[in-house]
Amino acid sequence: MAQTEKYVLNMGPQHPSTHGVLQVQVELDGENIVGAKPIMGYLHRGIEKLMESRTYTQCVPYTDRLDYVSAMNNNLGFCMAVEKLASIEVPRRAEYIRVICAELNRIASHHVFIGSLTNDLGSATGMIYAFRDREKILDLFNIICGARMTAHYIRIGGVAADAQEEFLKGAQEFVNYVPAMLDEYDRIFTGNEIFQARMKGTSIITRETALKYSMSGPNIRASGVDYDIRKIDKYGAYGDFDFEIPLGEQGDNWDRYIVRLKEVQQSANIIQQALDNMPDGPVMAKVPKVLKPPKGDAYHRVENTRGELGFYIVSDGSTKPYRVHIRRPSFVNLQALDSMCQGMLLADAVTAFATIDPLMGEVDC
Amino acid sequence: MHSGILYSTAQALREILMSLVGIPIIVDIIMTVICATILLLIMATSALVFTLGERKICAFIQVRIGPNRVGPGGLLQSVADMIKLMDKEDIVPKGIDKWLWVLSPILLLVPSALIYAFFPFDDGVILADVNVGLFLLIAITSQTVLPFLMGGYASNSKYSMIGGMRTVAQMLGYEVPMVFALMGIVMLTGSLKMSAIVEAQSNVWFIVLQPLAFLIYIVTALLESNRPPFNLVEGESEIIAGPFTEYTGMRWALFFLAEFSNLMCIGILTTTLFLGGWHGPDFLPGFCWFWIKTFICVLFYQWVGWTFPRLRIDTMLSFGWKVLLPIALINVLLTGVGIYIYNIM
Amino acid sequence: MGKYFDKEKLELLKAQFDTAEYDAEQAEPAIYIGKEQLLGLMRVLRETPTYAFDRMSNLTAVDYKEYFEMVYSLYSRRFDMWITVKVKLDHDKPEVESMTQIWEGTNFEERETYDLMGINFIHHPDLRRILMPDNYDAHPLRKDFVPLEPKIEGGVLTWHKQKSMS
Repeated sequence: MAQTEKYVLNMGPQHPSTHGVLQVQVELDGENIVGAKPIMGYLHRGIEKLMESRTYTQCVPYTDRLDYVSAMNNNLGFCMAVEKLASIEVPRRAEYIRVICAELNRIASHHVFIGSLTNDLGSATGMIYAFRDREKILDLFNIICGARMTAHYIRIGGVAADAQEEFLKGAQEFVNYVPAMLDEYDRIFTGNEIFQARMKGTSIITRETALKYSMSGPNIRASGVDYDIRKIDKYGAYGDFDFEIPLGEQGDNWDRYIVRLKEVQQSANIIQQALDNMPDGPVMAKVPKVLKPPKGDAYHRVENTRGELGFYIVSDGSTKPYRVHIRRPSFVNLQALDSMCQGMLLADAVTAFATIDPLMGEVDC
Repeated sequence: MHSGILYSTAQALREILMSLVGIPIIVDIIMTVICATILLLIMATSALVFTLGERKICAFIQVRIGPNRVGPGGLLQSVADMIKLMDKEDIVPKGIDKWLWVLSPILLLVPSALIYAFFPFDDGVILADVNVGLFLLIAITSQTVLPFLMGGYASNSKYSMIGGMRTVAQMLGYEVPMVFALMGIVMLTGSLKMSAIVEAQSNVWFIVLQPLAFLIYIVTALLESNRPPFNLVEGESEIIAGPFTEYTGMRWALFFLAEFSNLMCIGILTTTLFLGGWHGPDFLPGFCWFWIKTFICVLFYQWVGWTFPRLRIDTMLSFGWKVLLPIALINVLLTGVGIYIYNIM
Repeated sequence: MGKYFDKEKLELLKAQFDTAEYDAEQAEPAIYIGKEQLLGLMRVLRETPTYAFDRMSNLTAVDYKEYFEMVYSLYSRRFDMWITVKVKLDHDKPEVESMTQIWEGTNFEERETYDLMGINFIHHPDLRRILMPDNYDAHPLRKDFVPLEPKIEGGVLTWHKQKSMS
């Protein structure tokens, strides 16, 4: 009589496809997954604690290191929270430049998503194509602030420097390039039979599960929940733009991929509108050299690439925040990993890691 | 009798040796040793050439430049790689089954080297033209499964074990349709002899007569040599490197060598079985045609490999059993009917 | 950010729960509640159809030296409405009911708060450390935190209290 036994496979923290130092304890029955437990903390740097001993301005670079592939969005979240706490009014032009940068960074981050997903599915070629296009955006960031990934461009009260003509022209060129880019992606992977077979119907997150685990970002939208903070809160200048929220139907890997692909198009739309209606004026509000927000607390959330990024800041009236808490979307989203992997094959687990798109810098904080 | 430069060179060499030694058996032995050495050299150099070729082609497909630092245009990159691999520390993990672990990479190389004896490179240039050539070829190539399973089992690693198990499941999935696909060729030729198979294609290549078998063979050949999109055994994003996860340095290089040797094997086999072997217009000698076709085949397999994502194991198995096998059986039936009609006409 | 919870409704809640209180001066006052009534209040906020706070947007704790304060930011998707609920906890024995009983998605965030702040969540399904090592016996986000010394004992990484600096 044949006898089978379940066994535990430790995927990560050193594994080619766990996106950084995520460790997943996968319980396997043959190649069928019984359960998957994420274990994190390998990249824990204590950013929340570090921020307590820095002034508000000094805190901003730390947010770059949270979700290091969409640094601009994190800068934006933190700066808006501090602005809310200290009641700073940001000039209109700065808001527009912020939106352009944040959306460019969203596209760049989705490039990383597409690249790592195709790489995890065994096609390294797809990765190179996505990273080639990401390079264009990073070059634009290089022009505007001198840094490619950890931008530290959005500052409390505005942005570090006005956007140059060269940057705006480059952004326009990139927006013009987006349709051709998406078309190429369609031809390389989206239309690929194997790619679709691997993605469709696997690792389904139902609407109920997504809501139960407080998921956010493209992951919850792929399950058909219309939840985008850019649209709900209309923070910054987002109220001025007309854009759609792409939704998935059944919440499988395929929907999570398609939703992100469509988001790239929408982001390009937003950038186009921002470029067309760019107001003139200053890019920095009058912020005191020594920023001392009044005593109190504030919670502000923005839509980062991976979902609802919230900053809860407590001020005791001094120059340093008394307490900063960061609600990291990938950290919360990871809770769904177990239910995504159950009943799937080992190969699907890798796809699930890729489509839930966790970023360990953000998860571990 | 046979013609061609290679065959006449060998004959001349044999005559010289005969006049020097005089005993036919010893001359035969010396000739065999020379031929085997040449084949091994071809295998080793082809691995070097194909590594560079693969990297350059892959770079071209992936809009990159590829290796361009060592030597002119990166030509010496694979030599540098080889030196690096030899220089690497040989890590022996704890808790392994030492004998199986050490033997696995060596045993893997044996079948990949052995099958070169059955390839007709030119008219009459074949080391062992046995009566059951094709049968032996299939039997030997399917032996590559065993070292993979050995390495997977002996490495004391779960990734390796999964990889080893996948090899076996995959082999069961592709071997049967492949054999039935090649059955059509054997029916047309009426022989299992490799030289006879090439001879039968002097007028019409089998790709014309056996298009279905050709398609099945392409898929199964990719499966057999673990090329993408069927590199499930070493699917690096799931199970690191499958059976050779725990190997380093030269041991790993042996796996690597076997992999490239297998790639060339399937190129050669496609040429021999479907593309007319060394047959071609007269302005080039036979072995040139043979190598040109082989390189085109290898290029094709690499192109496929760098384009597609990897299949999932269950999809692959059901594809092998539910799609390829019935098509292969239909092909056998159609071939039989065709031969019958041809005979009565 | 959408609108904040109405003051009339806050008044209603105050009538319902005797430990509930808020600062009427503030524009967006947080509602303070005793920890015994927290679970009841949260149930009401989640299940009353006119509130429908279906998302626990943020959950964290703040160390005010004399006491801990749990901060819950709730969001209602249906009404685009916010409320902040705060609970004061004893500094010596910080204990509070786990919100996983109402919002399952708070599992990781409560584990994080337990790990970094040392708040004990009652009725939590899986209360283990999540970011710090399992054998780390301190809570880094507390204000009186002193980093522990790493030491390798018998091949295992262990953490020890620092000897006094004096």
